[in-house]
Amino acid sequence: MNENEIRELFREMRDEPIPADSLARVRAAVDQRIHQRPWSSAWKLAAALAMAGCVVAGLLWLKPGKPHRQVTQPEMAQALSPVEIPPPPEVPTRPAPRPKRARARPVVESVPVSIRIETPDPDVVILLVN
Amino acid sequence: MGEIPRERADSFEQVLRQREAQVLRTAFRILGNWADAEDVAQEVFLRLHRHGLDFANDGVTGAWLYRVTVNLCLDRTRSRRPSQELPELPSLARSAESAILIEEKKQRLMSALAMLPTKERAAVVLREIEGLSTAEVAAALSSSEVTVRSQISKALVRLRGILTREDV
Repeated sequence: MNENEIRELFREMRDEPIPADSLARVRAAVDQRIHQRPWSSAWKLAAALAMAGCVVAGLLWLKPGKPHRQVTQPEMAQALSPVEIPPPPEVPTRPAPRPKRARARPVVESVPVSIRIETPDPDVVILLVN
Repeated sequence: MGEIPRERADSFEQVLRQREAQVLRTAFRILGNWADAEDVAQEVFLRLHRHGLDFANDGVTGAWLYRVTVNLCLDRTRSRRPSQELPELPSLARSAESAILIEEKKQRLMSALAMLPTKERAAVVLREIEGLSTAEVAAALSSSEVTVRSQISKALVRLRGILTREDV
């Protein structure tokens, strides 16, 4: 077979018909995949959103507490005023303890105290320290 | 979401109808079987759909389709495991009728074409079967005209060699 013959055969191949079933399969597959695409994209989007939601929830769950803020006296007073502190439970049998002399409060002098809150129990004092 | 506008879908459909034979035939000549050619043709048209139809003219659309087709065929042949056995050329001896003889010659030529390196094969398919100019083939293969000329000339020499050897 010489070069001219080869070229001639190639030219004949140019006009050969394509199998109709091949064309039909390509059309059908292209059509199907084009119309599938929005669904698959929607699923991908939904999956991405769900994953993002999980990440945000995880971060919120693991987030450390708020940093301590120095509380000013009026704020504390305001905060405590509406709260009713329940009276301590009465112990019926024991005689009332002798009034003790006030003991020296150990903490007060050494640590700078910003707020001191007395409670009904004389032995309990809330000290808010810087 | 994702639903293509009606006008664009119609013209995509039009391009698909106009160009499907071109794409399928080119892929078949390069890959050598219809199943692979169909897969490539599907992928080409999906890419066209994603790309959109904002081409300057039909020629540019055709060139774009040839380029994508050839690239996908090259990818596919690269990802295939190279076969050690060469395809068997059909025998010439059996047929007497000239139509059958020509058909057999075509089959033998296709088998010989399958033995060429993929880029040479693609160059021959685009130049000799699809009838593109050397410049168009160079654009489709992303190479120079000189390279294309050299590939085609080498390919024809190889084809002649293969077919002559088989004739003896």
